[in-house]
Amino acid sequence: MEKFDVIIVGAGLAGLGAAYTLAVQGLEILVLERGDYPGAKNVTGGRIYVNPVRDLFPDLWAEAPLERFIVQEGAVLMAKERSVAIAYAGEELRQEPHQSYSLLRARFDRWFAEQVEARGAMILPKIQVENVIKEQGKIIGVWAGGDELHADVVIACDGVLSLLGEQAGLHPPESSHNYALGIKEVISLEGEKINDRFQLQGNEGAARLFIGEVTQGMFGGGFLYTNKESLSLGIVIGIEDMMARGGKPAAPDFLEAFKARPEIACLIRGGTTVEYAAHLIPEGGFKALHPLHGAGILVAGDAAGFALNMGFTVRGMEYALASGYYAAKTVLKAREAGSFAAAALSEYGRLLQESFVLKDFQNFQATPSFVNNPRFFSHYPELTGNLLRDIYRVPAGPKERLYPTLRKYLGLGEMWSMFKNLREVTKI
Amino acid sequence: MNATMDLKAKLGVDVFKPGSSAHINIRQGREKDPRLQKMVMICPAGLYSVNEQGETSLTVDGCLECGTCRLLCGNDVLAWAYPEGGTGVQFRCG
Repeated sequence: MEKFDVIIVGAGLAGLGAAYTLAVQGLEILVLERGDYPGAKNVTGGRIYVNPVRDLFPDLWAEAPLERFIVQEGAVLMAKERSVAIAYAGEELRQEPHQSYSLLRARFDRWFAEQVEARGAMILPKIQVENVIKEQGKIIGVWAGGDELHADVVIACDGVLSLLGEQAGLHPPESSHNYALGIKEVISLEGEKINDRFQLQGNEGAARLFIGEVTQGMFGGGFLYTNKESLSLGIVIGIEDMMARGGKPAAPDFLEAFKARPEIACLIRGGTTVEYAAHLIPEGGFKALHPLHGAGILVAGDAAGFALNMGFTVRGMEYALASGYYAAKTVLKAREAGSFAAAALSEYGRLLQESFVLKDFQNFQATPSFVNNPRFFSHYPELTGNLLRDIYRVPAGPKERLYPTLRKYLGLGEMWSMFKNLREVTKI
Repeated sequence: MNATMDLKAKLGVDVFKPGSSAHINIRQGREKDPRLQKMVMICPAGLYSVNEQGETSLTVDGCLECGTCRLLCGNDVLAWAYPEGGTGVQFRCG
C-alpha cells in the first residue's frame, strides 16, 4: 500500500490547479486521471475568463496554449424564421491583458499537466478511481485500478457527476434538476477564413450565444466560439426539459438543425467536423452547490457544482482553477495545524467565501431561476423577431403607423408580463 | 461535409478505445422503464433503442460519457460506471 501527502482525483482544471499549487511546496502529490492523457475526458464550450485567476497562477498565462482572445461578443435571439442580434465590440476587449480566450481542453489541460509535472507532482493517466476508502468516518485514500492508495487528504476533482463525493457520503446521487446537456462539434476551418467571416484580425476571436428556436422552447441555447483554426459550435439543453418533452427531434438533431440555420450555415461552410462531444453542465448555481469538504476530503471544480450561467456570460473554468487553488491552500494550512479533520478542512469554505468564487455564486444566486424562464426560450425571441420584421418591412402600399405596430405586440398584458420578468432582475 | 452529417459519421471522427466490458448496463427487469425509453431521443450518441416489445437496450460503443442517462434514469434502472482507465472516448480537442 502506497501513502501520499495528497491524492487528487481528476486532471482537469481544478485538479491540475490544486496540484500546481501544492507541488512547489515539496509535498508528495499524486494526480489520478482516467483518460489516456490529461484532457482526454474534458470538454468546454468554451471560453475562459482569465482576470479572476490571473494572479493565482501568475506564471501560467504567457505560454499557455490558448486559442484566440475574444474581442467580439454576440447575443442572438433566434426565432423560427428570423433572428435579432446584439453585438458588442470595444477597444477595451482588444487591450492587454485580454479578459477572455477561447480554448480547447484536450490541448490546454495536456500542456497544463506538463507544467504540473515539471513542478514535481506525479500524474498517472489511464487510472480509474473506483471508490474512496473510509475509516472511522474519515476518507483516508482511494481504490484505484485495484490498488489501495492512502493519503492525508483526497481532493475530489472528478467532474460533474461527482461520484467520489457521493461515495464519500457528502451528497446523495445527483438529480437531473440542476443539469443541462451540452453537445458540441469542433469544426476545422482555416484561420484566414475565420478572420474574414467574423471580421477579425490576427489572433482576435469572437463569441456568440444564441437563445430561442435552438432549443425549441426548452431551457438552453446555442454557442459559437472561434478557435485558431476551428470553430466550437454547440447547443445546451436542460435535461429535465428534454425528459418532460420527450419525442422527436432527438437531441443530436437539435445541433444539426442549428447548423442548418442560415445564420450559422454560412459561417461553417466548407468546414470539417473533427470532433463530436457531449458533457453535462451544472446549472443550479449557489443553491445546488455540494458540501465542499468532509473529514479527509475536499471537493473542487464541476464536482462541487462550480459553474455559473449569468445569461450573457457562462462561466466555469475559472471557478475550477480557483477552487483547486484554494483547496491546495487549505491543505497547506491543515498540514501546519497537523489535522485533516472536517473542522480543519472547513477552512476551504472560508477561503472560497473571501474569494470571487463564492462571492459570485452568492451575488448571482437568483440567476438560475431567472434564466430558467420559459418565455426567454420561445416567446421573447419570436416577439422581438416579429416586431423587427414589421418595423423593417416596406409593403407595396402604405406602411402602417409605428405606434399601432408596436401596440400589436406590446399590449397591456404583454407589458405587464415583461415588467414582472424584468422585476426579477432586481434580485440579481 | 456538414450538409447534414449523420450521427454515426460524427462518432466516427472521435477516438474510442475499447474496454473489456460494458460500463453501463440496464438492470434486469427494468428494460421497459419509461425513463429508459426516453433515452432513445436524449442520448447524444444515440446509443439506446427500443424493440417491438417495448424493451430498451443499449450499446456502449460510441458513449461520450456525459452521464445524462445516469441522472435521468437513476441507479435503480442503470448500473452506471465510467469505463475502465485508458478506455472509452479520448477527446483530442475537448
